[in-house]
Amino acid sequence: MQDTLTLYGRSFTSRILLGTARYESPALLVDAIKAANPAMVTVALRKQIEGGAKAGESFWQILRTTNRELLPNTAGCNTVKEALNTALMARELFETDFIKLEVIGDEENLQPDPFGLVEAATELVKQGFRVLPYCTDDLVVCRRLLDAGCEVLMPWAAPIGTGQGPRNPRALRELRQRLPDVPLIEDAGLGLPSHACQVMEWGFDGVLINTAVSRAIDPVRMARAFADAVEAGRSAYLAGPMPVQELAVPSTPEIGKPFWDEAARFAVQETT
Amino acid sequence: MPLIVNGHTTPMPDPPTLEILLLALEPQRPYAVARNDEFVPRSIYHQCELMDGDRIEIVHPSAGG
Repeated sequence: MQDTLTLYGRSFTSRILLGTARYESPALLVDAIKAANPAMVTVALRKQIEGGAKAGESFWQILRTTNRELLPNTAGCNTVKEALNTALMARELFETDFIKLEVIGDEENLQPDPFGLVEAATELVKQGFRVLPYCTDDLVVCRRLLDAGCEVLMPWAAPIGTGQGPRNPRALRELRQRLPDVPLIEDAGLGLPSHACQVMEWGFDGVLINTAVSRAIDPVRMARAFADAVEAGRSAYLAGPMPVQELAVPSTPEIGKPFWDEAARFAVQETT
Repeated sequence: MPLIVNGHTTPMPDPPTLEILLLALEPQRPYAVARNDEFVPRSIYHQCELMDGDRIEIVHPSAGG
């Protein structure tokens, strides 16, 4: 049976969600998408800046050629009202019910506002959205989001764009253990393929990456490295890692090693 | 008082509906619209009567993470 990622009943063979921001050029973005082969690509809504019409049009036209499932976000929203209205505009514009819900509670580290997030998620689920909330690793907040009707959670590893990797591995692993049947996607703060591999080894269902790829010196190569790492981590999780031991356990058999006479050793033991 | 469209003052269209405003502005497609911070569905542009000082926001697809 093929190992697939299922989000709100939609199955994907890839376990990567790729952000489309901060690439040097749309062409580089397209090549990175090919290399990472993501299940979905994230997009945003913005007003056109003065003279930016051409760039915006080029981004959209070239992104459509990649034929990927879109995941619009509510990035930069600080209130529930902003997030709801952004989600509604995104649904009409991108013609999808999927929404990556961001409600930011702190401007310094772009930390999710758990209260606003639960409130916004509750309303969006009622309105038929398939909500993927960008949340913290707090178990109770995650439970409230599930109660609100979210079927997927996207806890942060570290603040957006920092590349620090998982700051709180224990909380993330506990989340996996306590919510074994919920698709968990590690979103934000991953910087290296090893970070992605690590969370996949812990049993996360996928990762969302953007800056780690787009700001690499060679984004296409980095996209491929992340794809390999996610696949390796997933395989390791499915293979079942060995238990960690406190003391050394020789991997080479003791029996039959040279310069060591088993019979003599037992003979000595019997006489003492 | 004129309209504020994406932060810029813009004359009120005649008749003053969102549909007529958008016909005049011809924003690049695709786009979505909010009026005074509330989403306006495409299906009701023609019914959306504009008032003095309304803030209209027109958004387009953009790169995002």
